[in-house]
Amino acid sequence: MADNIPDNENAVISRRAALLGAGGLSVFGILASRLYYLQVTEAARYQAQSENNRFNFNTIIPERGRIFDRTGQPVATNRQDFRVVLIPERVTDIDLTLDKLGSIIPLAQTTRARIKRDIKVNAKFVPILVDEHLDWASFSKINLQIPDLPGILPLEGKGRAYPHKGLFAHVLGYVGKPNAQALAADTDPLLRQPTFRIGKSGIEQSMDKALRGSAGRQKVEVNAFGRTVKVWEEDRIDAKSGADIWLTLDAQLQAFTASAFGNESGGAVVIDTMTGELRSLVSAPTFDANLFVSGLSQTKFDELNADPKRPQFNKVIGGAYPPASTFKMAAMLAALEAKIVSPREKITCKGKTALGDRDFRCWRPRGHGAMNMRDALKQSCDVYFYEIIQKLGMRKVRAMAQKLGLGATYDIGIAGQVAGALPDAAWKKRQLNANWRTGDALNAVIGQGYVLSSPLQLAVMSARLANGRSAITPHLVVGAELPPPAPLDINPGHMDFVRDAMFSVCEERGGTAYKPGALGIDSVKMAGKTGTGQVRAISAAEHLSGVVRNEDLPWDQRDHSIFVGFAPYKAPRFAASVLVEHGGSGAGIAARICRDILGKALKLDGMGNTAELGGAAP
Amino acid sequence: MRTAYQRGIFGKLLDIDWLLPVLAAMIGLVGVAMIYSASGGDWDLGAQAHLTRLCAGLILMLAIAVVNIRFWLSAAYPAYIGALVLLLGVEFFGVSVNGSQRWLEIGPVRFQPSEMMKIAMIMALARFYHDLPAFRVSRPEGLLGAILIIGMPMALILRQPDLGTSLLLGVSGVIIVFLAGINWKVIIGGVLTAGISAPIFIRYGLHEYQRARILTFFGATGDPTGADYQITQSKIALGSGGVTGKGFQNGTQASLKYVPENRTDFIFTVIGEEFGLVGGLLTMGIFIALFAVCFRLAMACKQVFSRLLILGLTVSIAMYVYINLAMVMGLAPVVGVPLILISYGGTVMLAVLASCGIILSAHLYRDQELPKGSGVLL
Repeated sequence: MADNIPDNENAVISRRAALLGAGGLSVFGILASRLYYLQVTEAARYQAQSENNRFNFNTIIPERGRIFDRTGQPVATNRQDFRVVLIPERVTDIDLTLDKLGSIIPLAQTTRARIKRDIKVNAKFVPILVDEHLDWASFSKINLQIPDLPGILPLEGKGRAYPHKGLFAHVLGYVGKPNAQALAADTDPLLRQPTFRIGKSGIEQSMDKALRGSAGRQKVEVNAFGRTVKVWEEDRIDAKSGADIWLTLDAQLQAFTASAFGNESGGAVVIDTMTGELRSLVSAPTFDANLFVSGLSQTKFDELNADPKRPQFNKVIGGAYPPASTFKMAAMLAALEAKIVSPREKITCKGKTALGDRDFRCWRPRGHGAMNMRDALKQSCDVYFYEIIQKLGMRKVRAMAQKLGLGATYDIGIAGQVAGALPDAAWKKRQLNANWRTGDALNAVIGQGYVLSSPLQLAVMSARLANGRSAITPHLVVGAELPPPAPLDINPGHMDFVRDAMFSVCEERGGTAYKPGALGIDSVKMAGKTGTGQVRAISAAEHLSGVVRNEDLPWDQRDHSIFVGFAPYKAPRFAASVLVEHGGSGAGIAARICRDILGKALKLDGMGNTAELGGAAP
Repeated sequence: MRTAYQRGIFGKLLDIDWLLPVLAAMIGLVGVAMIYSASGGDWDLGAQAHLTRLCAGLILMLAIAVVNIRFWLSAAYPAYIGALVLLLGVEFFGVSVNGSQRWLEIGPVRFQPSEMMKIAMIMALARFYHDLPAFRVSRPEGLLGAILIIGMPMALILRQPDLGTSLLLGVSGVIIVFLAGINWKVIIGGVLTAGISAPIFIRYGLHEYQRARILTFFGATGDPTGADYQITQSKIALGSGGVTGKGFQNGTQASLKYVPENRTDFIFTVIGEEFGLVGGLLTMGIFIALFAVCFRLAMACKQVFSRLLILGLTVSIAMYVYINLAMVMGLAPVVGVPLILISYGGTVMLAVLASCGIILSAHLYRDQELPKGSGVLL
């Protein structure tokens, strides 16, 4: 033992080392108890958190329900959609890869910028959409080039397709990416999926919940960066496809109706007089709904908006037009029900009715002579109605028009219906804060002035007149829950009388729409009523100098051509309404289209020559 | 009886206390296994390198162990000054990694002079008290010398900035001063001074990220992805391990990379997750055994230099373990302190094994006479 070390110094070190050792051990004691706390006391909580960390549930997108017409023809389907995605972490040179890809499919500068932006904000393994809706030729070319394009992945998915293009566009609407509003209103996680589409308008929108189906889920194990490292096949709930929907529409009749319009603008409806099923619902012109699914280019969008015939506007349910003389049935029924005039009573038409210092003119300047009620409708004499309305009053006509279905909207699953207007004194006070004048009634009784209706409403009116007993309501979807129709509550004798008058319009010499055998089916006759809706005021001076002929006016000042009708006259099966914007006289184009589509509807329903039906579809 | 320094090299190797190298190797092998597991079973992602370093370090340790303790006594001050110069070199020529300048590059070798300093400072302090007569330990000249030896490197390392190492250095230095027998009055005075100056230091003497870590620890910030995230995920890893763990290579927190740095500073989370409380306590047990052996070796020595050297080095190594475990368990703020011999990383492993070598040397030459110096530096 070295003696140059004082023992007391060594003893101090030993004592303090012992203190230190005890302190060190107690620190280990604290650490051990902490470990016990974490791993035993709190273990369950941390185990749950660990599981939470580890597992994700990926959403499996269900296939959207398809939509068929009444014959089973698909009108909205899901077709294979060809897409190309890029997985950034597998691409060595983004620019070079996009250049190569650009030689196969067009890649705009803006698209390239968007792709690069997407790459920047997403994790490196997240597939970035390069392009979708590719045609098969481009898609197969990309597939061939795959060895030269590392990181580029061609994918097949499902996209909405409308095989009839624009034919059902106003009925079906279209699907698109959910906007912020939709996301706020709907918590369905499906809406948060990047490729998911929801209905934006029409049936696609109103029946979206049914069409959507329910999401499936797939349990996956993910790492801290969100990458899937394992798929748990045993923990999978398959997606439930959306419900298929059948429409009451007939694609063949729809196509026929649309083509009957040619380049004209307007709307037409064919409706079942017994059930209210809509067989055809056309707004012309239309647009290709497929364009909206794939994302419309600005130029195409501007083009649609600039068209004076407003292809995007659903005229058949959303257009409010003066019903013109087709309104006279309501006035006639009201007069009969109020018993203010005998059907046999004759009123003389001299071409105008004077009211104060104003003349209310008949459409026929030299007048119709002595008219009873039937002839007044047959020849659409305005003066007859000017005279009776002064005794009848507009309130009763309004009530009758409402009974017949005007002024109301119907739950057919398409948004954008217009209620139109049925004026009377109370209405004018409420709407315009002005007093009702007799002149207002004279204008209104012939369906001009304040009266406004949509083609759908006119078709409902026509169907209720044809039916005679039930206030049938229109519907579009097969199997929709409908309340039983209310009784019309109009004297059947009066109904028969009006129907007979409408028959005379079409089937008796002198009727405004007289054309025997118009339906093209032996011995089947129809009934109807013309209407010519003025869109401009004609001054007294113009009446003196001679009214400018419709054909000489600019398109947007010409009269609307309107026709309502039903067939067969004896046992009404279908009713129809046709409105051609600025089409001129109701006896012209609207009557022609209405005859054609009623005839076509009856034939498609199995009436008439079966050999013709069996032949090639027109 | 022939004492160690009188025998040949093999005799010396036989006289070494072999329990210490065995325990160190055991801990190192735990590290190899855990790095292997945290790398997803890939031998090449660190486990291989760790094993190679462990072997090289153990050989270095034995080489150092047979060096005469006289050499370490005479090398104490030069080594300290050399390390001080290197720290100054870092100040001017250092390489920045992750925003702090801790590294020096000499050719292909990159090392942290602060690791050298940990050993050098302990050697210098041990030498200082070896030379200093006991009665002068609490006198002003004794205090000033200790404050200079501890304070200079602390200040330089703090500037890098490396708060963790600086504090480690300070605490191990202060403990040596305590062991050297400093007056209790001085100890109480020092504790009071530290208690008052610590908040001021935290407010003005720290970098933003260092303050953030400390504030995070005390729950003052809600940052979910930074240091807070690290601690949260670390606790989830440990807690979800339960009593027996999820099994080797079955740790999901580890394999799915939820715990950042789980091959380096947070490697204890892999042990805790895969082997549970049992694995964690066993690991701590090996450390306790290692330190107990070191204490026994210190007590076997009679020289002040040897005793203080062994105890100082042991304390310094133990500090690492304490701080790392406390950090991983959420008891201390996240400071970049690895778990010695287990965490992946070369410098700390070499420093620790070199320290063990010096401990072994001090014990091997416990009977060697060491002259007392003049009581002044150098």
